[in-house]
Amino acid sequence: MKMTVEKGNKLARTIVDTSVNDKLATDPKLDSGSQKRIGDQLRAMYDELMQQPVPDRFKELLEQLDKKNGEKEGSQ
Amino acid sequence: MTPAPEPELREALLAAVPSLRAFAISLSGQVDRADDLVQDTLLRALANLHRFEPGTNLNAWLFTILRNLFHSEYRKRRREVEDPDGSYAGRLKVQPEQGSHLDFEDFRSALAKLPADQREALLLVGASGFSYEEAAHICGCAVGTIKSRVNRARFRLASLLNVEDIEDLGPDSMTRAALQG
Repeated sequence: MKMTVEKGNKLARTIVDTSVNDKLATDPKLDSGSQKRIGDQLRAMYDELMQQPVPDRFKELLEQLDKKNGEKEGSQ
Repeated sequence: MTPAPEPELREALLAAVPSLRAFAISLSGQVDRADDLVQDTLLRALANLHRFEPGTNLNAWLFTILRNLFHSEYRKRRREVEDPDGSYAGRLKVQPEQGSHLDFEDFRSALAKLPADQREALLLVGASGFSYEEAAHICGCAVGTIKSRVNRARFRLASLLNVEDIEDLGPDSMTRAALQG
């Protein structure tokens, strides 16, 4: 029984400590040079993905839907 | 009277595909899966067109759909992992890309190490061109939460990529510090 109480206290202390650490760690400051470098790399990677040709399946998908809708319209 | 979807809408959806793909690939890390996500996003958008408010940001609406699909699929897949047939592990090993992404290998693997919520916040704000407010709307959370996630994502990436070390060693860090001060 004693053990449980002590454990409980220890746990309570740990929770307090963690929440303090969380608060301190919430918004770590990154210097603007590093931030720019991260941003540049991210955009470079992203731009490369954006420039990839659109796979045919998407063009075909949208064309098919156009046709389907056209048929629906016609039958109504 | 007006045939739906109108040609302009089809064009707008098609025009959104590259940015949807870039987001989906960066989010999931897999091209095959990303393309399935984009396809499901387009189908869902077409089925729910009546819910889209004309004049509002079509891209933001599409990104919201894609993000929600990604997360519900992710939850589904997590359940699959518990199946002992190893099919999930097999899929993880699939190398979806060849060649062209080698330059960004380090960056992509660092990005993959971020928690999903931080990764998506950074992608929306830092790469897809959304404001903090739009990103918060897409993710269904507070603007402050997005800001904090983006900050933490940048910080974590910087430490994973040793960006700060490079700057410390750089000969121009003093100059830059002086210019900034």
